[in-house]
Amino acid sequence: MALLSRHPWCAASLLLVPVLTLAAPGWPRLAGVGPCWAILWLLPWALAEGRLSAILAGATLGLLLDSLHHGGVSEIPALMLLGWWWGRIGRLGAPVERSFSLGLLALLGTLGLDLSLMLQWALRSSLGAGSGLSGGGIDPATLAKPGWHLDDLAGAGLHVLLARTLLTALLAPVLCSLQLLLWRQQGGGVGRR
Amino acid sequence: MPAPRWLRSLALPSLLQAWPWLLLALALLGVRLSKGAGLADAYALLSRPFWPGTAQAEWLRSARRFEDTARIGALEAENARLRGLIGLQQASPKRLTAPVIAREPAGWWHTLLLGRGSLQGVAEGQAVLAPGGLIGLVSSVTPSTARVTLLTDPASRVGVWVGRTRHHGLLTGLGTPRPVVRFLEKEPGVVPGDVVTTSPASTLVPPDLPVGVIQSVDAGADPAPEAVVQLAAPVGSVDWVQLLAR
Repeated sequence: MALLSRHPWCAASLLLVPVLTLAAPGWPRLAGVGPCWAILWLLPWALAEGRLSAILAGATLGLLLDSLHHGGVSEIPALMLLGWWWGRIGRLGAPVERSFSLGLLALLGTLGLDLSLMLQWALRSSLGAGSGLSGGGIDPATLAKPGWHLDDLAGAGLHVLLARTLLTALLAPVLCSLQLLLWRQQGGGVGRR
Repeated sequence: MPAPRWLRSLALPSLLQAWPWLLLALALLGVRLSKGAGLADAYALLSRPFWPGTAQAEWLRSARRFEDTARIGALEAENARLRGLIGLQQASPKRLTAPVIAREPAGWWHTLLLGRGSLQGVAEGQAVLAPGGLIGLVSSVTPSTARVTLLTDPASRVGVWVGRTRHHGLLTGLGTPRPVVRFLEKEPGVVPGDVVTTSPASTLVPPDLPVGVIQSVDAGADPAPEAVVQLAAPVGSVDWVQLLAR
């Protein structure tokens, strides 16, 4: 947590994630879907700062992003878990610097985050699922149940998952390596130990 | 036989002196016989520089618009009175214009963020219109912003109907650019091209707002027949929207 203790203003850059999520710039899009900005910020932060700081950052990011969205699903568990995993990688192994490694970690992270959302929606859908048919015909209550359903997740959901994962993995080598360099310089190279 | 004396007094010299007056008389006779055609054409030619310009034409159009607006207002008032008599929601509530300050038309959530909030009178559940028709409903409000759940969001459910067949359905977002209508009847009888509007019996949204056009029909869908709808409003590119008071 050297960076957090020496330069707490660096943590304020975390606010860029909800800002970029809200602004949704039009240029980085794949099939209409934007990248996962939370992953692109959390990955270099966790690699430079370690487990504890990354778990805290993941929880904060999750709280901020959950407040922007509706639907009763949460990004907090996945972001905290990713923060722990990437923080561990940053501390234990050799410093992660190669573009391929950053892209691969971002790909796996986005995949995990989106799968956690899909799993929550699938559970909510299956717990409240009915046949859609009542005694005399179609049951409007079942049709009116909002949220992602299993059929939708297998169709449009898969499209979103693939597009977001690929785009985030493509952007990660550029954006994450720059942030990683900045955080390591500001933190006095703590991440290299 | 010699000519009479009086005729001789009107001899040729007198006629030659009076020829301009004869010509004038003939011209006047021609004007009379042509019902003033020559006179009108001559007047039109001479007065052309002084004809009413585009400004006056615009005045006429403006007056026509005023007349139309007044007549529509009277019809809406009459419609509201009749709807009030049978206990249905008002068809033409007040409108509030709001800018779109953030958008997420694709991905896990399909939402817009508007630059008007509860301080300006925005409330949850208000219908949001763009040029073309309904695009969503207000799902949450802060003092200065309002979040809109678009019709394409999987959490969106709006009661609609197809006017031609008078069949009701539920417009359901799938996370794709085109939502589907799930009909409550087994045989809705709709065809591609039918116009979808909000239900006249709706208690959540104002009735008869245009929503879109049916693009394809799947009569064998389970559990209900469904139809893909192309929304009438350009959801992804709209910069200003209108909020309808409830």
